[in-house]
Amino acid sequence: MATISLSKSEKAYIQSSLKASSSLRADGRRPHDYRGIALETGVAPLANGSARLNIGKTNHEQSGGTEVLAATKLEVEDIENGDGVEGGRIVCSVSCSPSAYPHVSYAALDDLQYDYTTLVQDILAHPSLHPPNLSILRGKKSWLLALDLVVLSDSGNIYDALFMAARAALWDTKVPRTRSVEYRANGSRPAGGNDMDVDQEKQSALDTRQVKTATDFELEDYWDEGEPLGGRDKWPVCITLNLFPPLYYLDAALQEEAATPLRLLLMFSFKSQAPASLQGMRLMGTDDIDLSLVSGLIKEGEKHAGELFVAINAKLKEEDIRRTEKARRRFAAVR
Amino acid sequence: MSSRIEILNDGGFRSDGRLPSELRSLAFDLSPQAGADGSAMVSHGLTQVLVSVFGPREAKSRAQTMHNRAALNVEVSVAPFSTSDRRRRGRGDKRVQEIVAMIKSTFEPVVQTALYPRSQIDIFVHVLQQDGGVLQASINATTLALTAAGVPLLDLVCAITAGVHSTSPDSPLLDLTTLEENDCPSVTVAVMPRSGKLTLVSLETRVHVDVFKGILEVVGEAGKVLSLEMKRAVLARTKMLKDAMGAGLRTAEFAEDAGGDE
Amino acid sequence: MITFTSFPVAPDPYLARNDDAADYLPDSDYMDVDLEEESDAGSSKLTCPGESITSSHAFMRGHGTYVENEEVISSVAGLIERVNKLVTVRALRTRYNPEVGDLVVGRITEVQPRRWKVDANSRQDAVLMLSSVNLPGGVQRRKLESDELQMRNFFEEGDLLVAEVQAFFADGAMSLHTRSLKYGKLRNGQLVTVPPILVRRLKSHFYTLPCGVDLILGLNGYIWVSKHVKENEQEGEEGFDAEAVYSNKNDEIDEATRTAISRVTNIIRVLATHSIPLTDTLLLEAYEWAIEADVDLKDLLQEDIGDALIAAVTNR
Repeated sequence: MATISLSKSEKAYIQSSLKASSSLRADGRRPHDYRGIALETGVAPLANGSARLNIGKTNHEQSGGTEVLAATKLEVEDIENGDGVEGGRIVCSVSCSPSAYPHVSYAALDDLQYDYTTLVQDILAHPSLHPPNLSILRGKKSWLLALDLVVLSDSGNIYDALFMAARAALWDTKVPRTRSVEYRANGSRPAGGNDMDVDQEKQSALDTRQVKTATDFELEDYWDEGEPLGGRDKWPVCITLNLFPPLYYLDAALQEEAATPLRLLLMFSFKSQAPASLQGMRLMGTDDIDLSLVSGLIKEGEKHAGELFVAINAKLKEEDIRRTEKARRRFAAVR
Repeated sequence: MSSRIEILNDGGFRSDGRLPSELRSLAFDLSPQAGADGSAMVSHGLTQVLVSVFGPREAKSRAQTMHNRAALNVEVSVAPFSTSDRRRRGRGDKRVQEIVAMIKSTFEPVVQTALYPRSQIDIFVHVLQQDGGVLQASINATTLALTAAGVPLLDLVCAITAGVHSTSPDSPLLDLTTLEENDCPSVTVAVMPRSGKLTLVSLETRVHVDVFKGILEVVGEAGKVLSLEMKRAVLARTKMLKDAMGAGLRTAEFAEDAGGDE
Repeated sequence: MITFTSFPVAPDPYLARNDDAADYLPDSDYMDVDLEEESDAGSSKLTCPGESITSSHAFMRGHGTYVENEEVISSVAGLIERVNKLVTVRALRTRYNPEVGDLVVGRITEVQPRRWKVDANSRQDAVLMLSSVNLPGGVQRRKLESDELQMRNFFEEGDLLVAEVQAFFADGAMSLHTRSLKYGKLRNGQLVTVPPILVRRLKSHFYTLPCGVDLILGLNGYIWVSKHVKENEQEGEEGFDAEAVYSNKNDEIDEATRTAISRVTNIIRVLATHSIPLTDTLLLEAYEWAIEADVDLKDLLQEDIGDALIAAVTNR
């Protein structure tokens, strides 16, 4: 991330406060406290799934906070002639608004975007997290899931925000239900298409005889949004441990980030009925750390990631209920 | 799916139920965003644009400074999920560059840049949702954001799109959606309400000269309506700030006489 | 602890339309505001860019206005202020407008030959000349070549300082000086940023709160909250100790003081979010309220507790 300018004495003040026995932070938080996180799903109606997240903005008059918009779009890809891959693929991109980093040059902004993009792509497009329902027609068509993140403002802890927003948007994503279709020409050539009979067959994944005849697909129901993206429990959360080894603290504000020379990013995925799996780890900064401390930090990170996972899931379910209620009320009013 | 959508049906209604000269629902939100000096979120129907203004402030690169006035720097980012077809447009994209140039030329004569030599005013435009009238929404949001940032302007700039459908060339359509923009010749006009002067007229298709005249007349009226709504939003926000500050001011006035200490 | 909430919803400004209709301009253009009737700030009129205020024959135009066709027209959104024959419009949110003699807190952005560039939240970076700072060895010492080469021994990039606006350059950039012993490098605390308009010009901008916290209210919206330094510990004119004045080392600060500093910082943030102008008495009242109400330090930033604080402090 782009660090802001701080004087040596400011940095020393922040560090000594954190290292003191009472671990006081600039805004009075304890070391493991997060700022309030505002989350809303369904903010981009044209997308298949979307979410908006802001860490730290508690009042509408207050400017700033770390704000990220995330949205997923599903596009059909051709496996034989195009970029499509059997089973579908995921592509992530992060773009940073210049308003998030007003003192950074455009070239540096591009570098920053590229860094965030590669990190998010590497973690989320990993085969272990691949959703099962991104295929349309075996060997012919598949879904491309494009996840786009936009950083609107950054006041610290951007990595946690990026992954939380990504998780929320992916949770919200609905995959349109498709049905495979076979065309049989009725004597004449199917050039104009007027004489075609459309034969509809439900595609069964176990029935390999029929795979070869299905050539196209159609949407089961144009107005139905679809089924939720499979495996949505698995999408990881990221915890950033800001380190003064062996001490660490969470959710750093901008000034705290500038005063902390080392941080450890940990991405955990929680599948149900299985232990947590570490999907990724990055050590960033200018300082170094004893190897012996790392495994202890990973355990601590897992604990906090678990809390974050439970909290964000509760909020996502709440959001689902709220939007269903809203839709129901609107339809009731129309009637 | 449904049959081809009519732009203007026999009853004189448009595809979304509006009359030809009816505007879409307007929403203006001037709350602060992202550490900017002023920001505004504008929605015309389903088109949503957020603009953040920084400045006047020290210019980032010496090369851009002018010794006698401020430099206007406009950046437009279009979210890939803003349209129904996902499309990533980078900074160098031609369409994006066009919008940047048009916004810049619209506001160069309106912002009093001569008051701030060697400074820079950054205007960051984020197109979050597109359903026609992106340039219109961007210009309106920029006006409001500049006002919220306290940047002196000669007047508000109100922009509106207008077009004509072949079935009724005498009643121009105002505030076009994507569907209508794809089907009719359309023009985007930016007008300064006090003087009635135009700072932008952008036409990318062909229209008969007489029809064009009719469009300009209607557009002037629409500009007045828009400017009233924008003024309402600005005054409401100014009043809110004044009230908030006033409450503190009254308390402070009593205490001031006691004097501060060193 | 992690809590998820919903996005704060802005109060609908259109709801305010019905009351105080006099503050809103009527639909038709209006000229010749009857400014003779205005007496106090309470009945100031609001205006927007492009609104006509009055005729330029009767009044002179000031900041925030321009003249066209013999009318005085507003160029910003704000309050119309009239002083005798001068009409100005004061914007309620704008970048810091410096004046000579203002006290500002700034951050060094660049070190150039014989001068520093200072970010002071204004339209251009301010300039601090080498000749405007106190040099070790006495106030009247002549500048040497070695000083120019060792400028970073005094101030380097990122340092915070408090200074006074001495003059303006031709292009409007401020020229600062730190020639008093009250001014100079800042340490032992943290910085809070608020909109500049909330810091009003008062007799003094250096305050000490009874909890042992020093406050420097920069007119540019940068506020420095630090541990209190006793008067007799400050340096005298002779034996000017450069080591101490330009040092980057903080003193020992105990936990009680740190807590107090954080509390004051949070209170300032809450007041700024609600657009309340800052004065020392207000801050003191707010601090006492926070102690009496036994509010947890970090809870001060919660929306409901913030509202309670504002209500308690502004109703007095």
